[in-house]
Amino acid sequence: MSTAPGLAAVRTPRQSRPAHRPRPPLFGRRLTRSPLLLAVARHSGLIVLLVVMLYPLLWMVGASFRPDNKVFTTLGLFTGDFTTSNYSSGWSGGDQLNFSRFFLNSLTITVLAILGNLLSCSLTAYAFARLEFRFKRVLFALVLGTLLLPYHVTMVPQYILFNQLGWVNTILPLVAPKYLATDAFFVFLMVQFIRALPRDLDDAARIDGCGHLGIFCRVILPLSVPALGTTALFTFIHTWNDFLGPMLYLTDPDHWTVSQGLGSFLDATGQSSYGSLFAMSTLSLVPIVGFFIAAQRLLVEGVATSGLK
Amino acid sequence: MIHLRHATRRQVRSRARTAPGRGPRRPSRVAALAAVALALLAAGCGQRMPHHTEAELQGRGDIQGSIRFSWWGSASRNDKTNEVADIFEQDHPGVRVKREAADFSTYFNRLNVQAAGRNMPCVTQLQARQLNDFTDRNALLPLDPMIESGAIDVSDIPEDVLDTGRGPDGKLYMLPTGIAYDALTVNASLVEEAGAQLPPENYDWEDYGHFLESLRDGLPEGVSPANYQGGLPNFFIAYLSGLGEDLFRDGRLGFSRELLTDYWEMWVHLRDEGVTNSPDEVSEEPPSPEAGYVAQGDVVSDSGPGNALTPVQSALEGAHPGQRVTTLPLPSGPAGTGNILVSSGMAIPRNCGNVPTAAAFIDFWANDERSGDTYASDNGAVSNTRLLERQLNDPDLPETKKHELTLYEELVARHPENVLYPPGYTAVFESAFTRAFEDISFGHASVPEAVDSFFAEANAGLAN
Repeated sequence: MSTAPGLAAVRTPRQSRPAHRPRPPLFGRRLTRSPLLLAVARHSGLIVLLVVMLYPLLWMVGASFRPDNKVFTTLGLFTGDFTTSNYSSGWSGGDQLNFSRFFLNSLTITVLAILGNLLSCSLTAYAFARLEFRFKRVLFALVLGTLLLPYHVTMVPQYILFNQLGWVNTILPLVAPKYLATDAFFVFLMVQFIRALPRDLDDAARIDGCGHLGIFCRVILPLSVPALGTTALFTFIHTWNDFLGPMLYLTDPDHWTVSQGLGSFLDATGQSSYGSLFAMSTLSLVPIVGFFIAAQRLLVEGVATSGLK
Repeated sequence: MIHLRHATRRQVRSRARTAPGRGPRRPSRVAALAAVALALLAAGCGQRMPHHTEAELQGRGDIQGSIRFSWWGSASRNDKTNEVADIFEQDHPGVRVKREAADFSTYFNRLNVQAAGRNMPCVTQLQARQLNDFTDRNALLPLDPMIESGAIDVSDIPEDVLDTGRGPDGKLYMLPTGIAYDALTVNASLVEEAGAQLPPENYDWEDYGHFLESLRDGLPEGVSPANYQGGLPNFFIAYLSGLGEDLFRDGRLGFSRELLTDYWEMWVHLRDEGVTNSPDEVSEEPPSPEAGYVAQGDVVSDSGPGNALTPVQSALEGAHPGQRVTTLPLPSGPAGTGNILVSSGMAIPRNCGNVPTAAAFIDFWANDERSGDTYASDNGAVSNTRLLERQLNDPDLPETKKHELTLYEELVARHPENVLYPPGYTAVFESAFTRAFEDISFGHASVPEAVDSFFAEANAGLAN
């Protein structure tokens, strides 16, 4: 940048800075050029950062192995007292706690919700991405508009509706809407994804005799696996962690989900069991971490290719 | 080939549907859908209340069928509650009690939605602080006719206690079953260690200040004499009650700005004297008593629920083995005791279709000895004096529980003031009070500024 600003416009390629000349380092001089040392330094930094980020989680796991009244006594991970009683008493203590059932209930709702979202959101997205129909733009804007509505706004009308249908204390209010493409976020995600797929493929399928359902099943769906994976993963995390929905609609303890079971360990007006809470919270994370690891590749591809952040 | 033929037909159909300029010309179908949606909406909004006969309103009729019963609590309380409900079911074959439990804050979130949907459980547990959120919506049945008819017996419940379940119109909407009170929770071992004395009987706020100062220099490093709790509504209510002032009058704040200014300046002074911890620490304190600073041995004294003594002692034992915690009445004032009673109880909503069974259940809960013994004052001291005596005479009653119930008896004997909480108390008063004091704590406002903004916000909110 030694050239005067006025000359920049008439500068020929030969006058410009040679391409091979190394850029000056951004932060002072480079201490070493050894790739090994650089890698070690980089990884050490990342590991330290990871430990800092994971520490609260590790603390929770550590606290789950401490006696109930010593849970908050230290910020460290381990104390001399080690017990697994939080796990046994938390899993099925008393006559209301039954985490085998809570896990089964959560799993049922989650699987049904994932299936519903995959089916309905992809079909809706196909319609918005590929079909031409009246009011398409308006309808799509309306669908996206529902993203702006907080859940709490529609909570009471929804409750009244489901109560009239006799669905309270069943899993239907939590599952049935998923089959009606009510999660606009996933519709949007898939519309973006499907729009990026070449239309030539549709045309080719049409020439081969496919209708819309054929194109959707044989061309679009197989190519949309990353977007479907992302939808499945986010639906899984959201449904598994959902507390407000089950709390409103599932009142019978036999129908409780894991998040409701966790809530029952705490009460500001009585005796809380933090040890059991942390023990069961640790266990409740296992399915999410497992699902994330399994679907990680799809998630990254889905996010990268649909342009979402 | 079969597939292909099918596909071709579909293709033709879909082409016809998607041809440019040929949208779905079916206004009749759209209209029908809109009509169905509107009908559903109208049906939802227009849900009717069941019609109650005169006998039902008096709680008379067959005790049969099922009722829903909801309460707040954690797993240990849920077990005791279930046991009581099981005994009721055994006593009344053919009756089923469907149970709905949730923790305190979640419980009221759900109850508000249920009330909006007119789907409250037949026996709904309520607290005096939230009672008028529901009486205001005309969601509850008055219990007076059921008491007059003998369906619910209240002869063993003191009049002062019973009055805590009344609405603004003087009718009883909630039968108080468990009475909580706030108490000064003090780590007695740390007081001894500092060479100080517990505050004297009937101590006032000045005595409390002296007590904190006497602790200041003798405590271990990092331990504060008191939590910086100027933003805690219950502490302020005790201050008001000791002065004989009203918290609310005609649906607005009943005390003067000067009074609140004095109160908050007292707290700022205590902090300047170095006898409280920092605002940062208070804002980070977890809400449950076991995780609080007194229970962890980091603070000597704080206002807390009187019935939390047992869990607090257990947590303190874990954090600092051998340390002992006790509870005292809150500071008094020229007009008498600072303590007020906060009752929890049971109500029957208007949407209940089985009032006789609900009334029978409430009567059983409030009067049956098996109910009292099983529940063992888990959510505040039992309101029925006969059941309370039974529990106090029980040799197996833990020492901390005995202390809690004895202190309750002492407080009732002082005839504490009854506070009628207006609708929106929790949503408006409590949150505005805490926020205004935080503004002072964190230097965003002076005391007079915070008092002004609190008065404006609270009065505007309560007027709505």
